[in-house]
Parts: sequence; structure tokens; C-alpha cells
Amino acid sequence: MAMEIGWLVIATILAAAAGVFGWRFHKGGQSRHLAFLGMAGAFACQLMALGWRGELRGQCPLSDIGEICLFLAWSLTFFYLVTGTTYRLSFLGVFTAPVVVILQVIALIPGSFDESPAHADTIDAWREAHAAFSVLSYGALALAAVAGVMFMILNHRLKTHDFKGGLVDGMPSVHRLVNAMARIALVGWIVLTIGVVAGVMMDGGKMIAHLLVATVTWVLYAVLIGVYFVRGLPGRQLAIGLIILFALSLIVFAKLG
Amino acid sequence: MKLVCLGLNHETAPVEVRERFALSDKALDRELVSLLEAKDIEEGVVLSTCNRTEYYAVVNGGRGAAELESWICGQREFDGAREGIFYSYEAREAAEHLCRVASGMDSMVLGETEIFGQVKKAYQRSLDGKATKGVLNRLFQRTFSVGKRVRNQTGIQEGATSVAGSSVELAEKVFGRLKGSTVMVIGAGEVSRQTAQALQSRGASSVIVTNRSYDKALELAESIGGHAVHFDSWETELKDVDVVIAATGAPHFVVKPGHVEAVRRKRKFRPLIMVDVAVPRDIDPQVGEIEEVYLYDIDTLQEMANEARKRREKQLILCEEIIREEIDKTVLPAVND
Repeated sequence: MAMEIGWLVIATILAAAAGVFGWRFHKGGQSRHLAFLGMAGAFACQLMALGWRGELRGQCPLSDIGEICLFLAWSLTFFYLVTGTTYRLSFLGVFTAPVVVILQVIALIPGSFDESPAHADTIDAWREAHAAFSVLSYGALALAAVAGVMFMILNHRLKTHDFKGGLVDGMPSVHRLVNAMARIALVGWIVLTIGVVAGVMMDGGKMIAHLLVATVTWVLYAVLIGVYFVRGLPGRQLAIGLIILFALSLIVFAKLG
Repeated sequence: MKLVCLGLNHETAPVEVRERFALSDKALDRELVSLLEAKDIEEGVVLSTCNRTEYYAVVNGGRGAAELESWICGQREFDGAREGIFYSYEAREAAEHLCRVASGMDSMVLGETEIFGQVKKAYQRSLDGKATKGVLNRLFQRTFSVGKRVRNQTGIQEGATSVAGSSVELAEKVFGRLKGSTVMVIGAGEVSRQTAQALQSRGASSVIVTNRSYDKALELAESIGGHAVHFDSWETELKDVDVVIAATGAPHFVVKPGHVEAVRRKRKFRPLIMVDVAVPRDIDPQVGEIEEVYLYDIDTLQEMANEARKRREKQLILCEEIIREEIDKTVLPAVND
């Protein structure tokens, strides 16, 4: 078994455990710190796997589906650890951990990782920066979309007066979720800006379609976030916007390869 | 030496009897002195709240609850029918009862927390008056740790069991902390007062009161530290408001979708929670269809309070287990014998 697979398996187990701990904390059974520790452990293992792939490639490991999924899971975990330490929002882990697990399980499917990747002779720094910042931004934008899903669930239950089952009890407040969505999306958009600028600077005639999509994505996020901060937007519309934009851009990028 | 508890409460005695036995702070001090002067009574604590009066005494010489009851009725000059009014416990049962009382398990509102402080105050008064010694000192210390354990390890105090409490709970679910939030009260009745005060106690910093009779609005506003606005201008205030409590006696809707639609842009679509405690309702249900509005009527609030009560009742078994466990650890002749 390749070294990165071993680290990834451990990271997946830890992320799954974080999800279970998070759920049990929400049900009132376990310390919330366990979920946080699980995600922190997963983050460390993801770093080891990424480091190993980086060594193999001699560049930023973002060339096959396994690496992209791993990098996305890493950036998602990174933003979770940064934003998820406060009490209520740590419940975000209940929603984030399964997404991380799914991404890593996709990466673990045989064939996702190129078994003998070519070692890069030369490195285009702009290309590396474009790839790294773009995927990092997608971690934040994914987390904003996850917060959007949480908001939709909470909003639906509060609007329909459905207080049974206790899920509402463990969730952050509406106000806090709306703030989280907007702030995380803003951070993601700023990082994406760096990624897009780096993409414009890189040398690669074949990447025009890719860059165009990245720029359109950047513009759409700019409009959504701008409207929220300048004019104001109901939380539901912000949540729907973030979920749709993230899903659409992911689908388009997947089609472009 | 034996621990005896004798008392009456909201379940055993009507208010006209309870008020005969209720003791003011001054009367409590005199009662303690008299209690200790009574024959064979070694230690004593008297607890007197609006819902209960209870005597905890360590007695000697084979005396028990019956003698204590006669003494208390003599003190109060109560010659009415006593049957079923008093309850009494001895030794371990008395200790367990005290733990139940301090934990809010015997209160009118199950799980309420105020009683814990009242028990502490009653004990402190006896301690200061040198009315407690080895048995009651250790028993009450144990009781306080039981109360804390029950509060921390069970859900006996979770959820709001009143309309005002449920309103606060909902507002916190939408806004998190209520610190700095603005509340508008439409109607100047008692429910408005209670709900506004409950929101203030959780941090709401500004309360706007409006009512058809401006004088009543002014009166309520002054009593709760808010400010009154005329009834024909409340709509313009809505742009700065986070929580609306509607409790007028109007036979038609007072708040309509148009009122909220008019200020949505100015509010930057911030969440708005609206609690309608009036019957007939004050807020048109269509207002709840506006995206950022969370509208609740009296039925929803009652349902929430009932659910909370049921959840608390389910915790009673767990609480009893904690009490048994803690009393098992208590080695006191007056309790264990």
C-alpha cells in the first residue's frame, strides 16, 4: 500500500470519528472537544498524504482526481478548524466531517491516484499558485455551502415550528449561521481572487476555458457577497446562492477536467 | 436523635392556609429562637417561600413529626382542620425530600432554580442564628452538592415552561445572544410586561412600548425602563426592531404583511422574530411567509412549554437516582437510623 493511501485511510477514520463525536455531542453524550480533536488529527494525516504526493510529483499535488479530492478535503478541514472552535459553530463539524469523509473515500477509490506520477522538471510558480489557491478557496466556499445547508435546515424547522428531535437545540442561531456563511464565503472569495490572478499570470494557452469559468465563478460570488454586504439579503437567499454556486462551479470544473 | 421534616406546600394546602404559615424574614428569626427553645429540639432550619413552609429539625427523646405539627399549629394559633394539609418525613426520607425540594423537583414549576437559592438562604439564616449543628450542617452541605449535580447532570432545568420563557428561547434560537437587541411590545398588558422583562433579563437593551392608550404604554415603559411611542407611529420604529411581542385586545390584525414589507430594505433583511400572544391574534399569519420573519402564536408557545415540561418529567427518574446515591454516601445517625 502506498504511503499516501495509509495516511488517507487514517484521516478518513478520524474524520468519520469526528462526525460521530459531533453527533453524539449534539445528542448530549460526549465532549465537543473530541470532534475537534478528530478533525485536527485528520488534518495532520491529510498533510502527511499531501506532503508525500508533493514529493512524488515535485510540485503542488493537484494533478489527478485523488489529489484534488484530498486537497479539497484538507482545505475544508483547515477552514473548519479555523472557524469551528467556538461552541455553537463547532456543530458545523457534524455536517463538515461527512463531506470530508466522502471526498477522501472518492480519493481512496482505486485509480484515483496516479500510481507513478511524472516528476516535474520545471515548475511554473503561477500555475502552482493558481491551483493551490483555487482549491484552498473551494475549501472555504464548500464550508460556506455547508453552513448554507445548516441554515436551510434550521430555517425550515423554525419557520414550520418543528422543534421535535432536538436538532434545533444543538445548532447555532440563525444570526450566527448567516454571519458564518457570509464571512467564510468572503474569505473564500478573497483566496479565489488570488487564485484567479495567478491563473491570468500563468503560461498556458490550453487553460483559457478553465480560466474563463474560474473568472465567471469569481464574478458570481462577488455579486452575491457584494449584494449581501451592501444591500442586504435574506439569509435563505444567501444560503441558496452559496449552495447553488458551489455545486454549479464544481460540476463545471469536473466537466472541464 | 432523629431528623424530622414537617411542611405544607401548594399541593397540600390552599393559599389561605399557606399564608397563615408563611413567615417574613423577621418572623423567621423569632420562629427559629422559639423552635430551639421547644423541648427536645436540637437543631432547626425553617424554609418559607410563597409555595411552601417547611421545618427541618433534629429531635431527641422519641419525639416526632406529630409533636412538631402540634407545636407549629400552636405557634400559628391554627385551629382549622389539619388532615392532609401537612406532610412529614423522618430520617432518610426527610433528607431525600430536602434534596428534592432544593433540586426543584417538588416545585410548582418542575425544575425551577429559584428554590435552590431560597433553601440556601434559609440554611444561612439558621447558621447565623446558631440553630444548626453537626447534623443539619452536613445534611444541607450535601443537599447543595446534590442540587448542583442534578442541575449539571440531568435535563430537569432544560427548556422553558412558560409563555415568556418560550419567547426568550425562540428569540435566542434566532439571534443567539440577545445582548443589544431591540424589542417592541404592542399592547401594554401583563403578558407584554412579563415577556419584555424576560427578554430584558437575557440582554435585550431597548424596549419600545406602544398601545392604543398612550398613557398605559407610558406606564409600562416607565416600569420596565423602556420608552413609549404613539400607536399611530409604531410602524416607523419597526426598522430598528429585532423582536416584536404583540398582545393587544384588538379584534382584528394589527400587524399586516405591508407593515413589514415597507421596512425590509431599511432593515437590510435582518431576521425579525414576532411573537403573537394575543387571542384573537394580532399578527396576520401571512407576515410569517416573509423570508426573514419568524412568527409564533400562543399555541406554538404553549406547545413548546408543554414539551419542555414533559422532557423535565422524564428526567425525574435520573434525579431520584442521584439523590439515592448521594444520601447513601451520607453517614449521619439522625438520617441513617
